[in-house]
Amino acid sequence: MKNHKLIVSQSLIRSYRASIQDELQKHAYNFVLCDPGLPDHPIVYASDGFLEMTGYSRDEVLGRNCRFLQGRDTDKRAIVEIREAIREERDCQIKILNYTKAGKPFWNLFHLAPVFSQQDGRVVHFVGVQLPISSKLAARKDGHLTGLELSFDELEFEEHFDNPSCKNYHLSEEDKQRAFAAVKAVLQELANSSCKGVSSMRSKSFSEGVIPPGFVATSLLLALTRIPHSFVLTDPHLPDMPIVHASLEFLELTGYTREEVIGRNCRFLQGPDTDLAPIEELRSSISEGQTCTVRILNYRKNKEPFWNSLHISPVRNSSGKVAYYAGIQVAVSHSSEEDEGRARMQQLGTLGAIKVAVRSIQTGAVLRKSKTIS
Amino acid sequence: MLAIKRVPTVVSVNQDCGSVSRDCLQSCFLTGFDLPLFKYTKKMKTTELQLLGDEEVPSSPPTIERSFLGTLLLSKWEERASQGLFRYDVTACESRVLSGNYGFIAQLNEGRHLKKRLTEFRVDQVLQEFDPKKFNFSKVNRNEVLFQFGEGEEAGYYDITPILSSPDFVLINVSPIEYGHVLLVPRLFDFVPQRLCANDLLLALYFTAEVDCPYFRVGYNSLGAFATINHLHFQAYYLAYPFPVECASITRINKGSLKSSLRISELVDYPVKGVVYESMDLNEIAISVASTCQELELRNIPFNLLICDCGTRVFLFPQQALHQVSQKVLDTQVNPAAWEIGGHIVLKRKEDYEHATEEFVTALLAEVSLSDPDFQDVKNIICK
Repeated sequence: MKNHKLIVSQSLIRSYRASIQDELQKHAYNFVLCDPGLPDHPIVYASDGFLEMTGYSRDEVLGRNCRFLQGRDTDKRAIVEIREAIREERDCQIKILNYTKAGKPFWNLFHLAPVFSQQDGRVVHFVGVQLPISSKLAARKDGHLTGLELSFDELEFEEHFDNPSCKNYHLSEEDKQRAFAAVKAVLQELANSSCKGVSSMRSKSFSEGVIPPGFVATSLLLALTRIPHSFVLTDPHLPDMPIVHASLEFLELTGYTREEVIGRNCRFLQGPDTDLAPIEELRSSISEGQTCTVRILNYRKNKEPFWNSLHISPVRNSSGKVAYYAGIQVAVSHSSEEDEGRARMQQLGTLGAIKVAVRSIQTGAVLRKSKTIS
Repeated sequence: MLAIKRVPTVVSVNQDCGSVSRDCLQSCFLTGFDLPLFKYTKKMKTTELQLLGDEEVPSSPPTIERSFLGTLLLSKWEERASQGLFRYDVTACESRVLSGNYGFIAQLNEGRHLKKRLTEFRVDQVLQEFDPKKFNFSKVNRNEVLFQFGEGEEAGYYDITPILSSPDFVLINVSPIEYGHVLLVPRLFDFVPQRLCANDLLLALYFTAEVDCPYFRVGYNSLGAFATINHLHFQAYYLAYPFPVECASITRINKGSLKSSLRISELVDYPVKGVVYESMDLNEIAISVASTCQELELRNIPFNLLICDCGTRVFLFPQQALHQVSQKVLDTQVNPAAWEIGGHIVLKRKEDYEHATEEFVTALLAEVSLSDPDFQDVKNIICK
């Protein structure tokens, strides 16, 4: 990903005032902010406390997914629990074994909370608060200490962490409350500094089933951002078929920002020398719900023209009905047969990946009973 | 001979016809024709995977490398779809998650199953000789072959190459359960029956690892555990949703050691008893799983495998060798094979789909689960 640092810093600027980093700095908690709309759900902000706790520098964590905190003995179940909470866009508080940069394991009370946009209901960021649990609390009933007290190359080490009874020790209420308080404080700060309004809860109308146009669930977003090609999703059920999602590669190809394209029809890519024939072919295919591929002259934001091999196709969601029209772009300069072959493969492969992503069952499906791990 | 009602599905358009068509893979192999080839390399996978967490951790800024094999597979599949080679559009099939503890995924797929039943072979014998008179994958239509998959010094893709001498093939399943449903047929022309050995399983693990996508899973059904064709093959498809079995609680049953990172655990509180093998070392998993499976085959215990997490997690579900399936379950015509046990249930009838509940699925799956003493025997095989 080009300029990933720029992209990561833009993640905050997009939703909050420029002073947000200073505001967040005032809090002594260990926490991160992650952006589910960027590939691999990376960290876009890390507090000093988080860096101190884990031993990493800011540069080493920004832009990375949190999984670097996991290690060999991290309980898979805990990882799954966090993933489910992210998919279902809800809070989760869980005890998980994490590792510092030096490889030292520590028990972590992790609290995850989504930050919702009040405009379109999307999850803008996830807040992750970490509270390391001291080794005193990790003592087992028989008086043996576990965790940080053991030497790590002992064979016993694994048995201790695998022992189910070891995982069932009680967290104090105080610890849980501290985690809640930290999350609340961070969320409040974000809400205060937000440009367009964010909140720890969805708007009332959303909860009552009124979904704002262009809403894209986190689970869909996470799947779409895995696809490393230029594409857009447009909504054929909304007036003038606006773009509801644009990949990073599309933005890089065309030179626009996300805010400049979401909500607009793709025709802004056309310009003075664009032929009418491909435009008509596109229009006609869309009206019949067909796929088609056209070679069309498009223009970047800086007015620079480029030949676009554009492939469009209807895409169905888990209801089996058409939810979006996907448009996949390949910039073609010289048209050798091999290039055409590769471009074709990229287009169809990207379309396949989009179909897999959109077909998955999104939020709004029946939620599983969440299993608490005390 | 056990008269259990199985509902086979059509995986190839040539499955019904008796005669060998001129267009079939076997004929083409003899006359020679070209296919795309994807070469994977074993070197890459064992060094790239690190011992941190369940996915590889890039040490530099996250330029996430997405797998070319995945793109190749999806593009070829999409191409076949646009050519009308599938019996129906699987993306037009409705799916939903059933409420409850497990989150089973139900799909309404009215086009998948045949109206009449075919009985290809005995279903109470896990090991059976290959019978060239029955349908096998050399008889598929050449259009159903997507590409060859082979090992090389370097990973690479070749658009047009002659068929290799002992090729492994990736074919489409013309009755897909999900988008991208393919069949992986190791050393197709060796005409090996449906039985497992470490090398073939390792191929499947490399295949999964090379696609490098957590939504792409590979399954294996032994004879007697609802395999429909007695010619060695694995199945695979994409589903961008967690399989219930992947989320199940597990508890470790093998001893840890410094030399090996292989963890073997049993499922806790899941309708079907099973074990899961986890390791970053694909070789280790292949050897351990295959050794257990061969033991099961010898004891005539049918089983299913589900390969997840880019090849680093393999579930093994032994099934009851002889079982009475209730009429109610038979009427739904759902075969509890690898996908179903994993938690993805394809239902043929609308009323079954609309009224499907977690209780129904749990009961269905529990029918094939081993009894406690039988499962303990299996655990003893694993841990010895």
